Amino acid sequence: MIINVENLKKTFKSYERGNTLREAVASLFVRKTKLVEAVKGISFSIDKGELVGFLGPNGAGKSTTLKILTGILFPTSGNVDIMGYTPWKDRKKYVARIGAVFGQKSQLLWDIPPLDAFNLNKAIYSIPDSEFNKKLNFMVELLEVQNVVKKPTRLLSLGERMKCEFIMAMLHSPEIVFLDEPTIGLDVIAKEKIREFILEMNKQGITFILTTHDLGDIEQLAKRVIVINHGDLIFDNTIEALRNHLGTKKLVSVSTQNPLPKFDVPGVLVKNKLSDYNAELELDVNTMGLNQFIDYINKNSTINDLTLQELPIEEVIKNLYSI
Amino acid sequence: MIDAVKLHLQGIKSALAVRMAYRADFFISIFIMLLVEALVPLVTYLIYKSGASLPGWNMYEALLIQGVFLLSRGISFPFFFGMVWNTILRVQDGTFDLLLIKPRSVLQMLIVTGFDSEDLGKLLGGIILFSVSLANIPFPGLELWLKFFALFLVSLVVMFGFGLILSGFGIVWIGNYRVYEIFFSIANFGMYPANIFSKGVITFITAVLPVAILGFVPASQLLGRPAEGTLITVVSSFVFLFLSFLFWKAMFRRYNSAGG
Amino acid sequence: MKNICKRQFDIFKATIFATYKQWTAYRSHMAVSVLVGPVFFLVQVFIWSAVYSNRETVSGLTLTQMLTYYGISSVIGYLIYDGSDMDLQNLIRTGGFITFMLRPFSYIYYALCQKIGHRLLALWVEFIPIYFLFLFAFKINLVPANLFWTLLSVFLSFLLVFLTNFCIGITGFWLTKTEGLRRAFQVLRDITAGDLLPLVLFPVFIQKILFFMPFQFITYVPIRVFIGSYELAGISMSIPEIVGLQAIYVVIMFLVYKVLWHIAIKRFTGVGA
Repeated sequence: MIINVENLKKTFKSYERGNTLREAVASLFVRKTKLVEAVKGISFSIDKGELVGFLGPNGAGKSTTLKILTGILFPTSGNVDIMGYTPWKDRKKYVARIGAVFGQKSQLLWDIPPLDAFNLNKAIYSIPDSEFNKKLNFMVELLEVQNVVKKPTRLLSLGERMKCEFIMAMLHSPEIVFLDEPTIGLDVIAKEKIREFILEMNKQGITFILTTHDLGDIEQLAKRVIVINHGDLIFDNTIEALRNHLGTKKLVSVSTQNPLPKFDVPGVLVKNKLSDYNAELELDVNTMGLNQFIDYINKNSTINDLTLQELPIEEVIKNLYSI
Repeated sequence: MIDAVKLHLQGIKSALAVRMAYRADFFISIFIMLLVEALVPLVTYLIYKSGASLPGWNMYEALLIQGVFLLSRGISFPFFFGMVWNTILRVQDGTFDLLLIKPRSVLQMLIVTGFDSEDLGKLLGGIILFSVSLANIPFPGLELWLKFFALFLVSLVVMFGFGLILSGFGIVWIGNYRVYEIFFSIANFGMYPANIFSKGVITFITAVLPVAILGFVPASQLLGRPAEGTLITVVSSFVFLFLSFLFWKAMFRRYNSAGG
Repeated sequence: MKNICKRQFDIFKATIFATYKQWTAYRSHMAVSVLVGPVFFLVQVFIWSAVYSNRETVSGLTLTQMLTYYGISSVIGYLIYDGSDMDLQNLIRTGGFITFMLRPFSYIYYALCQKIGHRLLALWVEFIPIYFLFLFAFKINLVPANLFWTLLSVFLSFLLVFLTNFCIGITGFWLTKTEGLRRAFQVLRDITAGDLLPLVLFPVFIQKILFFMPFQFITYVPIRVFIGSYELAGISMSIPEIVGLQAIYVVIMFLVYKVLWHIAIKRFTGVGA
């Protein structure tokens, strides 16, 4: 276990300002406070080399949990042990061994080349020359940014910039890397390149904690998913388990020669009836097997075309978010 | 220690590189900074030119006090006072947390990434004003220079303390650019000979909030007329530094607990 | 015509209330300025008391008159304080200005309403406490010689400082880092407006130049109107005359704004954001 979180709790004090004029004026003198339980007792552990995706609606405790894990915030109660450190207590020693990439907050310097920012990082982390050069050259080649690192950051495309952000975050050979929306705003090709890089680094034993709303990131990178909602940990399992969470449902798109049957049988839910001959359905193969289903339609309607799809992960997430 | 200096130098290098990306602007802004700092001395000059004066002090002696303060700011602002603006900006746009994931003390990171080369204009102004005033008074002997130098260092200590306080405000008081005005309004008291103030005020600016050391005390020392209560001022300067450290730590702890 | 007036009035009302509410969130910032003004003034009291310890007048002003000058300057400052140049420059820099181009009203009108809303809050958070502080603690005579002309002059000053700052803000369309220029203008304005020193203390030939610059109408003129007599560079004018001149400068500044704005928008829409 490289990360161990036990019964983590965090409560905030929040101030109410009021909406009516009277309340607004009153709040100039006295402020009503309200206690908000952002994290209500979360526990989980992560092994070295895992790539875990964190999901959860905004404002539901996910970012608070991650801020605690990175040592930025300290909790109201609970234990966190990462590589033997308590993040907020041993901050300086702890963060020397982690890295972070924020999709929406740049760590590079806008007007000058990424290379200069890398050198500043070198001084901050006290990275020895030889190690710095080795890592730098390795990652620059892997990401193919030889010409990019010497241009001022503001002249780079978003994709090029994100590659440099990754390099910056990993120059000091962190053992754990936190990623917050790393592919936001990137085009398809750039996303793929970044994901390849993450997988490659993960293969070399670096643990990744991924926070994202991009389900493509989750599907391609995460082998395990943790979902936090309303301050509670409501899901902690593999990605396959996530897909099957809503049961063994499949999306079926069927078009027939003769009008479709009524479909008022258990295991079938009509999602969208496009016409008398065309419909999109949700089929629970545990209740009604695929063969049974095909027979059922063919009995009266003769299938013209049939398409079968996994239930998109989106549906599962939506379901989890609305619990 | 050397490592910390190396880091600070690297931070300065980066800041200068950023500035050099807009070269012409660099020299213009230093010049403008000079103009801004010339205002208070200008007012002093005009007062004396119209025939009035601060009793017991001729014009160059009065300008020397302001020159010392400007010199003190000329060193503080570029090299560590930038932490104030850096804090306010970062807390407001959410990038303060980025400093917390670096394996250095947050204060160190704030100082290192807060260098503003434009403030070198203050240094230039300080050197000019100080030299001009000095040229018009009897040149002090070595002993006076040494004592002056020691007191000048103490003025930097108090500047650092103010930097900590304003930075601490910046952590919890989001987007308040007017914190500088708090500093300047109080520091103003150190720009004039203390004898113009009431007894109560003099006690306050030497023993409680030692702004007298920012300009008046070192300047008087250099002029061979050491100020009353110099020792008290020095002691309270260090007490001030200590208290401002505690304040900053408390504000930072609040940030760590409330999440910003 | 009636519809246009009603619409402008609705925008006026809505903007003022929105800005007022927005700034109550920053009331602690305003509290700072309430403290800062009197502290600056206190230093002035000591300086001038020392200066006057061995003489009766400086450039024709007595100690009481000198302190009254600074007192009124401080108090009026709370009424006319303006940040429209920073607001406009921030909008240009962050790209938010585009949202205003997409709205069917004049940006300067909106900015003026914002300032009114902001100062309305300042009226009772800043101005009134300061007024009483100066009146009773500092014992400054804060009763204007002629209420009508004083209010008019302060109102014109309010508009003038708004227009001047706004024009500086417009330069943000050309210069990427306008921080320097803005500060340079502030320096110029503070000196020539009489914020730092009554203008009569400047050498006479400088006073002649200051007379023709628009900045004296921001601070120096309202203070003189308040006191009841106007004089600069040896020129004496009656109160109605100098306020009339003030109004003319407001109109001139408005025309300057119109020209600058026209050029700026042409450039903005031509070059893109």
